[in-house]
Amino acid sequence: MNKIMYLEFERCIGCRACQAACRECGDHDAKERNYVDYIDFTESRQTFPMICMQCKDPACARVCPANAIQITEEGVVLSAMEEKCIGCRNCTFGCPFGIPKFDFEKNKMYKCDMCYDRTREGISPMCASVCPSDAIRFIDFDEMQELRRRRVQMNLIEGKKPMEGNKWEYVPEFFGVYSDS
Amino acid sequence: MSQFLVKDGVKNQIRKGEKLVTTHCCYCGMQCGMHIRVNEKTNKVVGVEPRYDWVLTRGKMCPKGVTAYQTIDHPDRIKRPLIKKNGKFIESSWEEALDLIQSKFLGLQNQYGKDSIGVYGGVSMTNEKCYLVGKYARVGLGTRYIDYNGRYCMSSAAGGFNKTLGMDRGSTLPWTELEHTDCFFMAGSNTAECHPTSIQWFWKAKDKGAKLIVADPRETATARVADVHLDLLPGTDSALANGIMHLLIEHDYVDHGYIASRCNNYAELKEMTAKFTPAYTSEITGVSEEKLIKAAHIFGQSPRSVVMFARGAEQQTKGVDNVSLYTSMALLRGQIGKFASGVATFTGQGNGQGGREHGQKADALPGYRKIANPKDREYIAKVWGIEEKEMPQEGVSAYEMFHLMEAKKIRALHVICSNPVVSSPNINYVQKALESLDFLVVNDFFLSETAELADVVLPAVTWAEDEGTTTNIEGRVIRIRKVVEPLGESKPDWEIMQLIAERMGKGEFFPYKEPREIFDELRIASKGGKADYYGITYEKIDDQEGVFWPVPEENHLGTPYVFTERFATEDGKANLAVCDWKEPGEVTNSNYPLWLTTGRVVFHYLSGNQTRRVGFLMEKCPEPFVEIHPELAGEYGIADGERVKLSTPRGVMELPAKITKAIRKDTLFVPYHWGKEMSANQLTSPALDPFSRMPEFKVCAVKLEKLSNRR
Repeated sequence: MNKIMYLEFERCIGCRACQAACRECGDHDAKERNYVDYIDFTESRQTFPMICMQCKDPACARVCPANAIQITEEGVVLSAMEEKCIGCRNCTFGCPFGIPKFDFEKNKMYKCDMCYDRTREGISPMCASVCPSDAIRFIDFDEMQELRRRRVQMNLIEGKKPMEGNKWEYVPEFFGVYSDS
Repeated sequence: MSQFLVKDGVKNQIRKGEKLVTTHCCYCGMQCGMHIRVNEKTNKVVGVEPRYDWVLTRGKMCPKGVTAYQTIDHPDRIKRPLIKKNGKFIESSWEEALDLIQSKFLGLQNQYGKDSIGVYGGVSMTNEKCYLVGKYARVGLGTRYIDYNGRYCMSSAAGGFNKTLGMDRGSTLPWTELEHTDCFFMAGSNTAECHPTSIQWFWKAKDKGAKLIVADPRETATARVADVHLDLLPGTDSALANGIMHLLIEHDYVDHGYIASRCNNYAELKEMTAKFTPAYTSEITGVSEEKLIKAAHIFGQSPRSVVMFARGAEQQTKGVDNVSLYTSMALLRGQIGKFASGVATFTGQGNGQGGREHGQKADALPGYRKIANPKDREYIAKVWGIEEKEMPQEGVSAYEMFHLMEAKKIRALHVICSNPVVSSPNINYVQKALESLDFLVVNDFFLSETAELADVVLPAVTWAEDEGTTTNIEGRVIRIRKVVEPLGESKPDWEIMQLIAERMGKGEFFPYKEPREIFDELRIASKGGKADYYGITYEKIDDQEGVFWPVPEENHLGTPYVFTERFATEDGKANLAVCDWKEPGEVTNSNYPLWLTTGRVVFHYLSGNQTRRVGFLMEKCPEPFVEIHPELAGEYGIADGERVKLSTPRGVMELPAKITKAIRKDTLFVPYHWGKEMSANQLTSPALDPFSRMPEFKVCAVKLEKLSNRR
């Protein structure tokens, strides 16, 4: 898989289509595995999406005593295997991004698997497919590199850095994972 | 023919044992492309798949769109006709329901005349159905009283466009071009929540450096990303537009060549806007002079700009003025009829565009013809096969129909695809008016608040159980496919109208076997009108990814841009708006010291009859709330989440407070998607625009109270 999940937090319009769509993925059991949160609703309507970072050496898998969290050859960190997960919730404490969710009824963890049934075929995951604002994208490595260069260029032109206490320009700039600042 | 359309090289996930049917969403005017997943064995709808290659929305959907399929096989669906007996609904056969309707309708008409029955339509349905509602009322029932929920939605935009440009097509350009626009001036539209998939085009343009100016009392998700947010007081759009035009003239951003050759009234406009100095405009609108000046310079200097507006500007007693003035801003800059520039309104309902073109409105006949125009009457009478003198005269607007019900002039009502007891202003009154009817028939697939009041509820089908066309936000006619067979005994609205018309002895005028036959009749009925569909066929829609009207000839490809050469007015010139600012129908006073405005949230659609039954959407937004600025909340001692009381001269409601700085200090906001005691429309004002007869949902005076002793 040569594609990249690319997040641009400030583009998020808070519609939560990504969450509705997450439930539609075949392996997701109608439960969403991603998050959309307000930064501070009292201040502004700015929201941001969060999905699994698919870490290289994922803390969730490392702290799992049952070895229930598998990593595919492409590097996708899968949801806990039903038959192996012992419900200890170590993964939910271990993840630095607060991603894994816990199903208390089924006593098992579940998390974003990047819609593996879609992405292994090169089809965009549901969240990135539907995101109306392109806050979540599933794009080629080269496209991502171009976008990152463009961000620098736009900043040079626009000087868009937020000014402290200036409500009208309250945009958390470069909040993203692929940030250069 | 395959029901799954996809372009070469586009990959979709097709799971084993499933097929995809290509269609569009049922909700707003964006009409997002989607494929619906159907289990081939059970023939049940099982989910949704993005339609990546639909030209306008590219696979993107909002949470309503993603979950839309869940309404099709929903447990709340009405599967058989319901007749109210002793205050309770009893399931019955179609025969029994139609017998009852026949005897009531004929009985009332014999006693009180043809006009004792009213028809209340809607535009969240296909062109075929919307067209037929008009014919059903005039030919099937022979009544003059027909109007539709578009009166609350698009009528001011229509009025403003007709006045200035001579024709009402919601957008003068295709939206796929918006990425090339340099500046958007957006008034009274929270497009990020109300038309979420449109935001991709604004972001694309912004990525290239386009500027966004947003006029809204709230710092909406759209206003948040604007370069200038004009945080105006509700109901002051006409002052704002005059003020911006004053600055455009002062700084000579006017396209004089365009004005001279294509517009009337420039001298008068100049005179009218003279007094709207930044200081005067700022005094009325509450927007700082700096922001007005900044906005005018950005807008004035942009080579290609689009002025856009929505219900915020339109649902006012000055709705038509506001639309005319904002349209005039685009005219002053010489923008209309050119590439990536122009003017557009955000169509709220799925078929808000097509549904208002073909004669569902009290004064209209198909193709934007006028029922008061003898030539138009004659032409349509001929198409319908009736005598011109049999064609009823003009009726009254939606809200005014309730006055007639109260006055016992309208004694029976047939509501098709609408929920007026939630969506009307001042619903306490509307409910009483509906209760005073002798007989109420409602077509719906869920038991809406209006259906609850009915004597007979006829089970209609969802959008996925019938085929037809809709006309999207751009004026592009697109195709809705039938995905599954109707659930239970439910029937499409066109068939229901046909059955009742037969019972009224008018069956010969409704000989349709499928929607395509209705569309073919609509093509002829609209031929030669302003909204000319004559050259549109289902096949052409598939081949061309939709067809923009007008399409006057069979071999015509459609009209993506309108007004490139001339406007649709009599002299071919646009009429610049010369309108002064006027106060709203209701203003704040010592009893009701704050402003109230209403609107949508991203999770719900219109009266919520569909979206309030979808699990995901209800989890995210289960109840209405009131947005309050923290400074105002401080004055009243209100904490976040605390229940408060709102009252206007028309009604009272209690709801939780949401505290945010993203709203003006003197304004409260409540979303309107709920019914009964949770309805914001208990509070809203029924003051009507004198021209469009659209109610002033967006502005009224309100009192806020803390519920000190209760939680």
